[in-house]
Amino acid sequence: MANYLFGEAYRIIRKKSMYLYFGAFAFLYLLLVFMRAGTGNADTQILQDAEVLSSFFPAVVGGYLFAAIYTDDLNAKNLGTLIGFGMGKAKIVIAKLVLVLAFGALFFGLIPLFLWAANTLFGGSIPSSAWQVLYAWAAKSFLETLAFSAVSAIVVYGLQRATFGMVTYLLLALGIISQLMSALLNWDMISSVLPGLSQHLMSGISFRVMVGIVSESMPLEPLVEYLVYVAAAAALSVLAFRKKELEF
Amino acid sequence: MDILLQTHDLTKRYGDFTALGGVSLTLRQGDIYGLVGRNGAGKTTFFKCVMGLAKPTSGEVRIGGGHHGLNAARRQIGFMISPSFFPYLGPRQSLEYLCHVKGVRAKGEVDRLLELVGLAGVKKPFKAFSLGMKQRLGIAGSLLGRPPIVVLDEPINGLDPQGIADMREVILRENSDNGTTFIISSHILSELDLVATRFGFIEQGDLMQEVTHADLHELTKKSLVIEVDDGQKAAAALKACLGDPDLILDGNRVILESHLDCPDVIASTLVHAGLGLYRLAPQETTLEEYFIRLIGGRQDG
Repeated sequence: MANYLFGEAYRIIRKKSMYLYFGAFAFLYLLLVFMRAGTGNADTQILQDAEVLSSFFPAVVGGYLFAAIYTDDLNAKNLGTLIGFGMGKAKIVIAKLVLVLAFGALFFGLIPLFLWAANTLFGGSIPSSAWQVLYAWAAKSFLETLAFSAVSAIVVYGLQRATFGMVTYLLLALGIISQLMSALLNWDMISSVLPGLSQHLMSGISFRVMVGIVSESMPLEPLVEYLVYVAAAAALSVLAFRKKELEF
Repeated sequence: MDILLQTHDLTKRYGDFTALGGVSLTLRQGDIYGLVGRNGAGKTTFFKCVMGLAKPTSGEVRIGGGHHGLNAARRQIGFMISPSFFPYLGPRQSLEYLCHVKGVRAKGEVDRLLELVGLAGVKKPFKAFSLGMKQRLGIAGSLLGRPPIVVLDEPINGLDPQGIADMREVILRENSDNGTTFIISSHILSELDLVATRFGFIEQGDLMQEVTHADLHELTKKSLVIEVDDGQKAAAALKACLGDPDLILDGNRVILESHLDCPDVIASTLVHAGLGLYRLAPQETTLEEYFIRLIGGRQDG
């Protein structure tokens, strides 16, 4: 699997569009910071930025990573190459999650540093206590990206259509499915029998993890729920992949 | 010769449709096996089952000695079913990606292959490649790491005449220099005829016939076609003159498969026997004609 992971890392870092895509977002943020330089309190503004940005980081950052890691394979018909080389389907599913984990950790680890650097560049400064909050927001986005990728992978492997996989990911990352599920779980008929289910949706779990990081008292429960989510999604992906024949 | 790949009664069904109907095929070390069949005959399905891209309904695939698991054994096979690479990677990057994935560490392997398929120095990404360039890169990918078995599905599709000649050279060189065993499908049979040492004819999912190159040429050998006003009398006259000629009588048409070097004697014999000689012409059955005749029998049946 290590060979495969190195190979994937090799190709992803050679994807020129990745640099253009993230470069454009970085430039827009720098422009924003430049335009408001000296107009407000940089300490609070950077935290507001982190909060606002983290609501669409899973879609904007995670979406690109999902496409690069999962749907590029379908478009390039690369799964056939891997399986023809004797790589097991379960191994591919797990390797992909490891890639999201690695690239997600790298990107979401760098984002707070970038926010700090951008604000510092234009005269701002942030107190050391703010780092914890910045990284808590980044961790929330990272956890959501990994979980949404794991769930969308079921569609990727089950249908083997890049578009369906990408749409599923974006519906999850933009919170549309979460809102629908939340409305459904809060419906009287369901909530009277199984109350409080909506807080076990991914958005609720990741929020509880974030609060745990900020308050420095991480409860075990959301972490366990999170792992169950990802493990169940991975297991379903393997089943879907084994059931579906590769298409050329 | 060692058996490198063997299928036994390999069957693949999609609902009521039988894509492969119990194909038993043996690939021996050093073979260049030409799998001949029309579009939809089952060639790609066969390759997919061998490579694990489709699960056979029944039957068995054995690769190498059969001591390892099938997935591990598949690492001995390089293949190109359709050239599949990431659109944003150039040829060197595409092969380097495969080197990482396949764990190929040999220095200079990428350069060797790019040189071999004529893509050295090409910088543009795969998405900007012509069909011929894609095929060339696909073939290079299949040869990466010098696998003992190489599976090529329609490798010369989209290649220009020079490209076809180049790829033929590549296949023959890899076979003779590295002992690489090939199984190649193509519907350009004249081209396959120039490289293959054995042939398998597949139609409607059935492997109808397996022959060596020498046997095939025996089957498609030259003949003389003679058309006269009385076939029986002509056959008798030829037997009297030529001893025991190898001939087939088809009404007033006689097909002579021996004594091809003496048409003058044959013409003279027939004229002296008082026969009306309408046609005396050499004929060679091409591989295409043989194949069409073979599958024609199936269709008629």
